[in-house]
This record gives sequence, C-alpha cells and structure tokens, in this order.
Amino acid sequence: MALALQQLINGLTLGAVYGLIAIGYTMVYGIIGMINFAHGDIYMVSAFIAITGFTLLAALGVSSVPLGLVLVLLLAVAFTSVYGWTVERVAYRPLRGSTRLAPLISAIGMSIFLQNMVQLTQGARVKPIPPVLVGGIDLLTIDGFTVRLAYSQLLIVFVTLALMGGFTWLITRTSFGRQQRSCEQDRTMTALLGIDVDRTISLTFMLGAALAAVAGVMVTVYYGVVDFFIGFVAGIKAFTAAVLGGIGSLPGAMLGGLLIGLIEAFWAAYLSAEYKDVATFSILILALMFRPSGLLGRPEVEKV
Amino acid sequence: MKTRILAAGFGLLSLAATSAWADILVAIAGPMTGQYASAGDQIRKGAELAVADINAKGGVLGQKLKLEIGDDACDPKQAVSVANTMVNKKIAFMHGHWCSSSTIPASEVYNEAQIVMATVSTNPQVTERGLKNIFRIMGRDDQQGVVAGNYLVDHFKGKKIAVVDDKSAYGKGLADEIAKAMEARGVKPALRESITAGEKDYSGLVSKLKSAGIEVLAFGGYHTEVALILRQAQQAGLKLTVMGGDTMTNSELVTAAGPMADNVLFTFAPDPRKNPAAAAVVKKFRDAKVEPEGYVMYAYAAMQLFAEAAQKAKSTKYKDLEKALREGSFDTVIGKLSFDAKGDNKLPGFMVYQWKGGQYDYVK
Amino acid sequence: MSTLVFAQHPVSLAERLRDASAVALITVLLGIPMIGLTTVDQGGSLQVVTRWPALAAFVAAGFFGRLLLRWAIDQWQARRRTRTAAASSATRGVNPLLRRGGWLALGVALALPVVFPENRYVVDTATTVLIYVMLGWGLNVVVGLAGLLDLGYVAFYAVGAYTYALLSTQFGWTFWESLPVAGAMAATFGVLLGWPTLRLRGDYLAIVTLGFGEIVRVILVNWTEMSGGPNGITSIPRPTFFGLPFRPPGDEPTFASFFALEYSPNQRLIFLYYLILALALLTNAFVTRMRRLPVGRAWEALREDEIACKAMGIHARNVKLSAFALGAMLGGFAGVFFAARQGFISPESFTFNESAIILAIVVLGGMGSQLGVVLASLVLVLLPELGRDFAEYRMLLFGAAMILIMIWRPGGILAHREPTLRYHGAGAGR
Repeated sequence: MALALQQLINGLTLGAVYGLIAIGYTMVYGIIGMINFAHGDIYMVSAFIAITGFTLLAALGVSSVPLGLVLVLLLAVAFTSVYGWTVERVAYRPLRGSTRLAPLISAIGMSIFLQNMVQLTQGARVKPIPPVLVGGIDLLTIDGFTVRLAYSQLLIVFVTLALMGGFTWLITRTSFGRQQRSCEQDRTMTALLGIDVDRTISLTFMLGAALAAVAGVMVTVYYGVVDFFIGFVAGIKAFTAAVLGGIGSLPGAMLGGLLIGLIEAFWAAYLSAEYKDVATFSILILALMFRPSGLLGRPEVEKV
Repeated sequence: MKTRILAAGFGLLSLAATSAWADILVAIAGPMTGQYASAGDQIRKGAELAVADINAKGGVLGQKLKLEIGDDACDPKQAVSVANTMVNKKIAFMHGHWCSSSTIPASEVYNEAQIVMATVSTNPQVTERGLKNIFRIMGRDDQQGVVAGNYLVDHFKGKKIAVVDDKSAYGKGLADEIAKAMEARGVKPALRESITAGEKDYSGLVSKLKSAGIEVLAFGGYHTEVALILRQAQQAGLKLTVMGGDTMTNSELVTAAGPMADNVLFTFAPDPRKNPAAAAVVKKFRDAKVEPEGYVMYAYAAMQLFAEAAQKAKSTKYKDLEKALREGSFDTVIGKLSFDAKGDNKLPGFMVYQWKGGQYDYVK
Repeated sequence: MSTLVFAQHPVSLAERLRDASAVALITVLLGIPMIGLTTVDQGGSLQVVTRWPALAAFVAAGFFGRLLLRWAIDQWQARRRTRTAAASSATRGVNPLLRRGGWLALGVALALPVVFPENRYVVDTATTVLIYVMLGWGLNVVVGLAGLLDLGYVAFYAVGAYTYALLSTQFGWTFWESLPVAGAMAATFGVLLGWPTLRLRGDYLAIVTLGFGEIVRVILVNWTEMSGGPNGITSIPRPTFFGLPFRPPGDEPTFASFFALEYSPNQRLIFLYYLILALALLTNAFVTRMRRLPVGRAWEALREDEIACKAMGIHARNVKLSAFALGAMLGGFAGVFFAARQGFISPESFTFNESAIILAIVVLGGMGSQLGVVLASLVLVLLPELGRDFAEYRMLLFGAAMILIMIWRPGGILAHREPTLRYHGAGAGR
C-alpha cells in the first residue's frame, strides 16, 4: 500500500516531465504534420543550459533557491526557444511542401547533429550539480515504509499544472492561439486570411522548445545529472505519450505522459523493471488497436 | 557517378593506409565518442603519454612509435570496422577494445590478421575462446565477483543485500558472479533485479529496495547509474551502501553523487598509483593536468608491454611477439606482467576500495 | 550556423549586411550557452569556463558564411531564371547515364575484389554497403512501394540474425539450411505485427513499428536463456563454400586445399562479399518482378490512394500485409548474412538508430528507386568511414550531411522514378 502510494507520486512526477515534452511533439505535429525527432534533443540542450546556469549562479553567489530557479528557468527558456526556432528554420522550412518523409529524415539528421554538437562543445562526461532542492515531506508510514514527497517532485507537479493552465489559456483565448489553431486546420485558407503562416509555425516551434526547456530545468533539479544522451530516451517516451493521448491534442499529450509515467512506475515496482519498456509499448499498441486515433484524438475524417 | 565516388573513396582510403610506414604503428581503440567516451578519453591520454615517453627514450628497435586511434563507440559493428581499418594500416600492436562486447568480435579480426592485442575488457569470454593473440592486462569478472561477494558476506552479516545489474555484457556478468559467490557461502541475495542503463529515473528501483528493507546494494554496471541511484535513494530517505566493480574508479562518480559517494565500495586491481615504481609516471601525468585514474595507467602499461616485448623478441613480427609475451615477464607501471596460456595475467587479482572525500583507497 | 532562404530579394550591399547581421545575432544567441560557456569538472565540482574567442570565431563564421551563401544563392537563382525557359523541355526524359547506371554499378561491384584482393578494409566496407543495400531494398518494398512508414524495421533484421545464430549454434544447421527458415520466421513476425496494426494511419503506424522494434530489442536483452542477453551469441559458424570451410589447412579438406591455393584469410572475406552481392542481386530481381505482378501494382496503387483502391475491390489489409511480410523476409535474409559475417551478434546491433539509418537510406535514395538505395547506402556508409580522420567531428558531419542532402534534393538523390506501367496510345483507353 505504502509502496503503491510512493510509486503513484514517482509516476506522476515522471509523467509530468514526459507530458511537458510531449506537448512540443503534439503541437508541431498538429501544425505541420511531421514528427520532430530533434525535439528530445532540444530538451537535452535545455538541461545543459540549466547546468551551466546553476553553476554560474553558484559562482556569482546567488544563494536564494527560488531566485536561482526563476533565473535559470528564464535563461533556459530564452536560449532554448532560439534553438527551437533555428532548428525549424534550417532543417524543416526549406522542406515545407515536399514529401512527408523528407522532413522526418532531416529531423533524424538534426537529432544526430545536436547530440554530437553538445558532446563536442560540452564534453561527453556526465554533468552533475549539487542538489538544488533538498528534503521533502514525510506523508505517512505504513509497516516501516515512509512515503516521501520530495520538494523537487512537488515543484515539478506544481510547475506543470501552472504551465498547463497558462497554455490552455494561450491556445483557447488569445489571438495567437486562434492563429495557431487555424493553421492546424487549413494552412492555405489561413494564409489567405492574411495570417503569417511561417511566423505562426516558427512561434509554435519556439513554444514547444520553451516547454521542453522547462522540462529540462525540472529534470536537472530532480535528478541533478545530465548527459548528452538523455534527449533520445526522453524523446521516444514523450513521442509515445503524444501518440497514446492522440497526436495533435494538447490535453491528450499530458494525459499520455502521465499514463506512461504511471505505467513505468508501477510496472517497475510490482513486476520487472527489465520489461518496463515492453509494457509501455504493448499498452500503446493495444490502446491504438481499440482507439486508432489515440485516447483523446479526433478520428480523422476521410475525404473521398 | 557511382564509379567516381567509389574510386575517390577507396583511393583516399588506400592513401591513408600507406602513409607513414616508416614508423612502427601501435593502436588504441575504444569509445572515443558516445555514452562511455570518458573511458576512451582516459585510454587516449594514457597511451599518448606512453608513446611520447617511449619515443623520447629512442623508440623501439630504433624506430619511433606512432599512435593510431580507433573509435568504436562501444558498438560491436563499428568495432569490427575499426579492426579492419587497423589491420589495413598494418599496426603492430593493439591496445583495446574497451567494452567486452566490442573486444570479442574485433579480436577475431586481429587474430586472423595476426596482430597481438592487450585489452582491459573483463568479460571471461574474452580469453576463453582459445585465441592466441589476446592478452588481458586486467582481471576477470569472475575473479572480481568472487572478491566482492566474499567481502559482502564477511562484512555485512545479517543485512539484506540486493544484487542489481544494468544488463550490459559487463554489468550482468559481474552481478551474476557476485550472486554466485554469495550463494556459495550460503547467503541468498534478498533481491535480484535489472535496470536499463542510460535512463535517469530509478525511483522505481529505489522504492522497491526501500520496501524490501535493503541496506546493501551490489551493483554490476557503470558509475553513472550508481550516482543516480544514490541521489534518488537519498531523496527517498533510504540509506544505501553500494558495492560495485572496476568502473567505479571514475571520479565522475564523486562529482555526480557528491558526499554520497563515500557509501561506495568497489573492487579494482591494486591501485597502480600506489605502485612506487610508477611514481615518476604518476607525477608526469599530474603535471600535465591528467589524473592517472581508471584506465590511464593501463593504457600506459599496455604500450610499455609492447615496447618491452618487442625489444626482447628483437622483432615486431606476430610470431616473435606472441612468444615473447607468453614466456616473458614485463615491468610496467601496473606491476610485473606475465601471462598464462589463455592470455590472462598473473597479477594479484582484486582489492576492495572505498571512496572517501573524493579519493579512493583500500578499505580499512 | 546559417539559415537558408530562397526568397526573391532585390540585393543591395546594405541589405546583405543587414541580413548577415541578423544571422550573426542568432549565432550569438545559439553560441553563448553552448560555445561561449561550458562547465568543467574541477576538484569534484563543476566550474564555469568561458570561451569567448571560440564564440567570436563562431559568430564571424556565421556572419561571413551567411554573406557568402546569400551571394551564391542569388547567383544561382539568377542563372537559373535565365536558363529555365530554354532548358525546360530538354531535361525531360531519363538521363541515359542513369539508365545504364545499374549495369555500371554491377560492373564495379563485380570487379571490386579483383582490383583490391589484398585490401580487406575495402572488401569489408563494401560488404557492409551491400548489407545496407539489401536492407534498403527490403524496406523500400514497405516504405517506398506500399507507402507504409516503418520505424522498427531493425526488428526483422534481428529476428533473421538470431534465428540463424540459434539454429547454427544449437542445432548445427548450415547457413543455407537456415536462410529460408530465418526468412520465414521474419515474415511471420511481420504478419504478427501487421495483422492488428495495419489499419492505423501514417504516423500512428510509425510509432507502433518503433515500439515493436524496441520490444524485440528489450526481449533480446532480457531473455538470457534464449538470446544470451547482453552478451549476445558468440562463435556463430561462418558460411562454407559448398561444404568447404575457409580455414588454415588442417586434416579435413578446406577451400584452400581443395583448390590447391595458398590459404589467406582474405579468401573468406571475398567469398562473403560475393555471397552478399548475389543475395542482393536476387533481392533486386525478385522485387523488380514483384512490382510487375498484380500484387506489386496494388502496393503502389495503395500508396497513391487507399480509398480508390478499396473502391476497386483491392483487399487493402491483405495487400499491405504482403508488403510487410515480404519486406520483413528480406530484412531477415540480411540478418542471417550479418550474423554469419560478424560471427557475433548482440542486441546492441539492433537499436532504433539502425532503423533510422535504413529509413534514411530509402528516403535519401529517392523512395521507390532501386538504384537510389545503392547510392544512398554508399553515401551513408562511406561518409562515417571516410570521416574517421575527423575523429569526433565524424557524426556531427554525418548529421549535417543528412539535413543538407534532404534540403538539396527533397525527393531523394534519384528523385526520378520510372513508372512501372506506361500508358501507350491515345485511343487505347478512351
């Protein structure tokens, strides 16, 4: 019982991180219909920026944890958005209007490029920082097992909730949100209405990158260890989450992320950690067999 | 068009293959890029200094050594490709590869081409296949596991011990041997688990350890995972002692795990830095701002081994070198090396170490 | 890093400078966190280290690179504008060199070991190229012809390799006996995966196949009793020349002793090379034939318009399944050869990266083009090999090259595709 509660907390934390990254996948897919394989690596870049940021702040003598967190978040979001923008501009925009697979290959190339760039410029060694947020709340003890909610977990869940709220507002209530959604539905028509489609797509990429940046900073705070390889694993999991939730749907991405986080946490605790990934993907395949457009995805209307 | 690409490509390759033939070519191979690039880095630094030192003393048999570096990224397929490149360059000696899973397929290529190699791969299979060209200058996982297993049984009586591995050829081999050694003494591991290396989230494992009341974790795998497990255990309020293998020598463990690294015990060959005969070389490394940790000194020793064997055999031909290595004994910075019929060395096996304040030392 | 713009600009120097400055500003922003700043491990904790000169060089490269690129693009476009009008009719039709390209490639491939008999690196690399050619051709059936995006193709490659490895080491089967069994095994896996999932559309299918690839790999890693786990399977027997092994002369007759040749380890390499060449050529002939059969026509028709096909009475799922199974079988064959050549397999050879490379070969080559796959395999295998001298920059350049080739030729290196069926005569159909 206590173990289940602990794994619920762990799974939700992990799922929140997957969800944040998955939103980037799902938005990009919604607007230009491509799988952005480099998205996981954008998240990795952000984690490295966070490491540099925390180290820099420590060197400058900023000892207040909330101030440091906010500063690093701002820095990471700003710089990572530029990366998101550049990736789209260099690797995807020239390919707009060509075959469906061309941007996919370009994205795989970009993923390889980013990984190796970070390895070259930042080194292949793992980068650790001392724990930023130490301690936690002991919730309850059953049979000598104390369920513990670490402050960093609390932070991740809280930040994710706040971001989801802000994001829903941005997409449903603002003029940018309307432009974004109209681009998703019909790019040609949107352009005819005088909306700058290229700009909207660029902004979408920057937003996706910004969310990945938040995930990167959160993960740096939570695990404290970063290497150039983390983007790959997280990217695949987040992409799975986006598809499970119904690709193109924002709440779906979050739901998918949380589900995958929970599946992993419980499978690892009660069954075998080895077959955790098999479980994740099998459940994905099963879910898609019964709901071919994902849990919250709109079924596609086939036009003849 | 295809012909032109081919011709240009292979033209370039054959050019590269024939350059600088006047020197004796020696080679290292390992993960210079990829996840384990830091180990490749150690090997390169060690070998570079060794070659420079040997050349400064006049080289081998009057010829200078020239170092070739191969990158296999710990991928068996790339390892075979690197091996073929090296064979084409007509190297006289290979130090590598690093990952057991790379060394095993690559060694067959070197064996066919009759090139002597010295490796630090610890998987027993490396020397168990009857290849004559391979010499291991490190211990074997089965020796290592026995030392670790016995230590756990002797020093942690009555405590619950979990055995976990990371599913790599190296990690699983080591963990299996530890578990076997413990069972031979009548202690059954309270938990036997595997994790996936390269992930960051081990909270599931930590919860499981916590609910099973585990106090000691015997881990087969790399230091990165140990650091993460320790950090997450601390976050979950679990106090854990870890027993690991030779990869725990990496100082990244201390950077990553912070003060928790003091809870890490591990087995490793007797520390070459403590070898009084190696003091001069250790100083040289430190002057060059390289800490001679992990595999640095082994790479240095491998090059020394080749130089001495070639001097003794008065030749760099395979047959002579192989015979000299098999029969002789050689003074290197890691001690006096001599080999048995399989190619395993006869150095005293493994010691148990502990990290303390950023340095590791024999456990008291 | 510079950006590409193909817009029409009236170009003044001031405008060019402004444009380049904008790029320089972006490079500053990109460069600060990655090049300008880094952290170095000093005495157990990280310290920030600055590298302003490197950052300045990077920004300067961005600025001048952009100026140069912009200028080059303008020149190119101006020239193209004057030329297109005259040349548009002349460039139609198949390039005659291309039509003969296949035969040319075959000639080169056949002659290669004769030209380089002693160079085992060349022969070995060429063998690797051919393995990828074969994998590319197999995946081409699925992606290029049937239009199904498969990101887990490596699973079938793995099934083939492990089937041979197990049959040969456990039951003593020979290479030739195992080949059809392994192919059938891989095809079965293809059907197994395809049956429930082929009704999924485009990218949903992509993630399912990706997941399947990972499932197979994770099982191989964990099911130690069957697959040897992470240790893989060692000492897989090498194929023999009709029963004659390639070994130093011993008691039994070997290839060298039977033909009264002097033994050399290169003989086996060359034999393996011709073996994979023969397998690849068979694959090619087979796939080309299949394309002319009704089922092959149905694949391509399905790719173009699924609804129209269903309306015409084509059983979409069975046709898709046949493409999936056939592609899987070819992948399985390639896997058998891979296991036989390496003599050692482990799950590390069957990661998602491998699937991505094979898919890149198909797409870079020009989907559906057989010769394109050959060219793309050459590029993708030789690029990292030639790049070995660049050491750590190797994979960086590889990634950049993938992007550049795609931008340069979005339809693939050989974007032109011969139609399988030509419509002759105006009166015939109407």
